[in-house]
Amino acid sequence: MSGHKLSLVVNGERVEADVPSNRLLSEFLRDDLALTGTKRGCETGVCGACSVLVDGDVVKSCLSLAVQMNGREITTVEGLGRVGALHPLQQQFMEKGGLQCGYCTPGFLMAAVDLLKRNPNPDDAEIREGLSGNLCRCTGYQGIVDAIRSTAEAGHGA
Amino acid sequence: MHSFEFMEPTTLAEALRLLATHEDDACVFAGGTALLLAMRQRMMVPEIVVSLGRLHDLRTIGWTPAGGLRIGALARHGDVARSELVQQHYPMLAGVAAGLANPQVRNQATIGGNLCYADPATDPPSCLIAMGAEVTIAGPDGERRIPMRTFSVDFFTTALEPGEILTGILLPPPDPQRLGHYRRHLRTAAEHRPVANVALTARRVGSAWDEVRLVVGAATPSPQSMTRAEAYLAGRAITLDVAAEAASLVAEELAPISDGRGDAAFRRQVVRAATRRIVAEAAGLDWKETAA
Repeated sequence: MSGHKLSLVVNGERVEADVPSNRLLSEFLRDDLALTGTKRGCETGVCGACSVLVDGDVVKSCLSLAVQMNGREITTVEGLGRVGALHPLQQQFMEKGGLQCGYCTPGFLMAAVDLLKRNPNPDDAEIREGLSGNLCRCTGYQGIVDAIRSTAEAGHGA
Repeated sequence: MHSFEFMEPTTLAEALRLLATHEDDACVFAGGTALLLAMRQRMMVPEIVVSLGRLHDLRTIGWTPAGGLRIGALARHGDVARSELVQQHYPMLAGVAAGLANPQVRNQATIGGNLCYADPATDPPSCLIAMGAEVTIAGPDGERRIPMRTFSVDFFTTALEPGEILTGILLPPPDPQRLGHYRRHLRTAAEHRPVANVALTARRVGSAWDEVRLVVGAATPSPQSMTRAEAYLAGRAITLDVAAEAASLVAEELAPISDGRGDAAFRRQVVRAATRRIVAEAAGLDWKETAA
């Protein structure tokens, strides 16, 4: 129906776009901006694969409309680190076996960023609670918990 | 998802005008986490979506010693959980907000949206009723204020009239003599929605309680005050036997729902156990002592 002019910042870059009102944020990121690191999993708010940061807070992009993002700042996994300059969490996910197929990993990384921002030294129970909006069917979660704990222990929590 | 007009009023008056103009074609959008799912499943197909996202005044949480707490309807669950005011003066509510759904949803979903959607499988309504909350509602003819216990009417039904918008939640000033406890039961630890919850507040008078509020949520179409158990508990010294008797009264009075997540008999037993435990816990007793 109606198009909406959108002005926002994605991974540090200003983006101007024209989106229909029924465009989900997950669709906008993947299909309009080609930021395919953000995954579509269940698309019903359960799996967390589509998690991104909006103004620093982790949210599920399948439960958000693109039009809600006018004036906001979004960070996707592409904004976290690059090959050769990985984010400490990405490095630890590799070293601790925090992933296998990798589909859920971007969502877990974004949830972990939010968790460590609020609680730089979480215990294992707090880590697991912080990941309660994300599903992984490969790792059994232990490698993910280990990766986040070791990131925090290395002082990268804040 | 179907096409719709997305409108973002910048004042409450403008939002109320849009609702009055578009009547049944319009629906109010707060955090959107529940509404978007309903729209994508075509359970709701509004032509006009009126977003309250720009009504920043409705997002604030304020407290005065004499007036108590006012939570703007658009405060997110995470805002409520992390609010120092709420943590300090209303720890029961802070705890409930911190355990809702999951971190992502707590960063998106609003307390007002939660109350207006009136999905029974949630925690804030029973908690707020037990805390003696009131809500403020804006409409074409001004603002009205009603007790939270009359706001939750039925399954997905509230006391909101067409064209009205929930604006805030009011909690009375904290009473140091009033105790507050909350228990929620999930079918599995990985689930985000309770199958039953129990909220209890009461004023301590010596070794007994009065003004007891015992409210069951999620197990019924809308939160239910357990009036027989409330009356029974008032003025009585609380022992494990008293807790067990209160639990039996609740199990008798309760009219639980049956659904795919649990039938009525299961929910009745869960609520019975939860009631015995919460009463014992609130009286400083170890409910495990008589676990059988």
